[in-house]
Amino acid sequence: MGVESQRVEEFRLTKEPYYLPLGHEVELFEAAYNAKLPVMLKGPTGCGKTRFVEHMSWRLGRTLITVACHEDLTASDLVGKYTLQNDATVWQDGPLTTAVKSGGIAYLDEVVEARKDTTVVIHPLTDDRRVLPIEKKGEIVQAPDDFMLVISYNPGYQSVLKDLKHSTKQRFVAIEFDYPKADLEEIILQEEAGIDADTAAKLVKIAEKVRNLRTHGLEEGVSTRLLVYAGQLMAAGVEAVEACEATICKPITDDVEMQRSIVEIIATQF
Amino acid sequence: MTFGPSGGNVGMYVAREMLEAVPADQQEAYLRMVESISELKYQLGVEVARQLPRLIAQSDPDLVARYLTQVSDVAKLGWRSGVEVAKQLPDLYEAPDPELADNYVTIIGDATTGTAAGAGSAEMADELAQLEREIQEMEPKVKRAQELRTQLAAEDRRDEKRKKHAVELATALPPLLARLRPRHRETYLVQVQRVAAADPEAALEAADTLLDLLNGERVSHDGAVEWVSRGLEVLERNKEVGRGYFRLGSKFSLDVLEELREGLALKSIARVLKLYATALSGRDIAIRSSEDANTLEIYTADHIVLPADMRVFDEERQNFAAYKVATAQGAGRIEFGTYLLSLDDITETVTAIQTKYGE
Repeated sequence: MGVESQRVEEFRLTKEPYYLPLGHEVELFEAAYNAKLPVMLKGPTGCGKTRFVEHMSWRLGRTLITVACHEDLTASDLVGKYTLQNDATVWQDGPLTTAVKSGGIAYLDEVVEARKDTTVVIHPLTDDRRVLPIEKKGEIVQAPDDFMLVISYNPGYQSVLKDLKHSTKQRFVAIEFDYPKADLEEIILQEEAGIDADTAAKLVKIAEKVRNLRTHGLEEGVSTRLLVYAGQLMAAGVEAVEACEATICKPITDDVEMQRSIVEIIATQF
Repeated sequence: MTFGPSGGNVGMYVAREMLEAVPADQQEAYLRMVESISELKYQLGVEVARQLPRLIAQSDPDLVARYLTQVSDVAKLGWRSGVEVAKQLPDLYEAPDPELADNYVTIIGDATTGTAAGAGSAEMADELAQLEREIQEMEPKVKRAQELRTQLAAEDRRDEKRKKHAVELATALPPLLARLRPRHRETYLVQVQRVAAADPEAALEAADTLLDLLNGERVSHDGAVEWVSRGLEVLERNKEVGRGYFRLGSKFSLDVLEELREGLALKSIARVLKLYATALSGRDIAIRSSEDANTLEIYTADHIVLPADMRVFDEERQNFAAYKVATAQGAGRIEFGTYLLSLDDITETVTAIQTKYGE
């Protein structure tokens, strides 16, 4: 086993990540994988998109290389670049190239944040060609059958300046996520945070009320992830109201009046 | 040579050669004599300083004393005569007739004071002196009269200004009264009257501000009285600052208002309550003040009508809790359609409830 293979193997999940299916997303993802189709996960932040990909990676037995995209991320960062090593110029594969070569799942999280030139390297991977052009080396890497490209996309964040082009969107199978229904979210909280059913129910009730404030000044509601944080803090002994303020209230808004109204919502439960 | 402190201004009259003409042991006495005579008139000092060395040289202290006395006597009657006498006397002392100098002094003295005609002058002088004394006594009264004239003129100007502002107040007050809620009328009128009596210009400001404060339930009636009282104190110290106070244009005025505010104003927490109600019910709910209730259908689906101020408790926290209870009740009414029940669609309502809650 070469050094490169060893490095790729580090991205293989050995323990099953907890994931509670909300619908038929698992079957849909598997079907897309078998059909060698790229997948786009849509949904608000903290609703479980990344956890879902991790779960599917484990389920399919594929390595998972995740790239958190940001506004300075270029095509070179994804594909690879020449670097200096001991007075020599050495080619270094980027994470996308590594994933393509190893036949794993490449997950580009919040891909819309990356620079526009990244779509140039994504497009050939998402149609029937399934190739990755490495322009600087003059190479084209053919993706093996078990390679899969997954991107995530949060419609709530997009603006006129930052949105996926339709030519990009229409290359993906879209799986839409939202916050889980109350009963499922309670189960998730109990499982992830280790709290009792009553506490989980109260947290979910708070989340339900706070999510009503979307379009009233909140960009997004409380994510399941934040509820898990709240539960974890409470399980660690933090007083319930304090834990909720630190996780449910303060991270999602800087608006003092909004914060106060959320605190009052929290007070209805704890 | 310096004359020292005792010399005073005598150096102005005594030339160096004059002093040198006096024996050293008598120089200080010489200077004192000159200084003494010059107190009557400095020209006299100059002449005496010039003549004295000659007399001192005769070593006859009586002669020097006689000279100074005679010069002094004549000078008191008229200083110009005194100067001339001071100049001529040393020569006359050397005349063969020893009485000649005395006669000369008598003649010059009489000539200087005058005789019959001189008595009339003296009377006139006395009368003049008397009048001048009286005028001097009158001076403070004249000064006071001038002050009073100035003050009265300023008072007149202020009075004119006051009348002008009173007219403005007369114009401004009726529309304000028309907007005033009837229950505030008595307090409002009394307080505006208090300010108007002190300063109509400030009353213009107070009338406007009090209307908003009372109609807006921002102060109680007692609070309004206190706010005006504190403003009148400011007004008494400084008119301009006082007017700013009644305009709510000073920090002190706002601080007093804050201090006097009772209960919790809906305005200050309306958005928090709106968000709270919206979160509870999942509907876009507006919070309305009871002051606006006459313009609203209070049971309209998306409104919760709450009092403009909550004064149930002493503490703000508890008053907020009271607001919260009322808001939650309103949100529940809206969410569950308390006032939307209609017998026309009772069948659909029963079906919907059965679906939601079972049999």
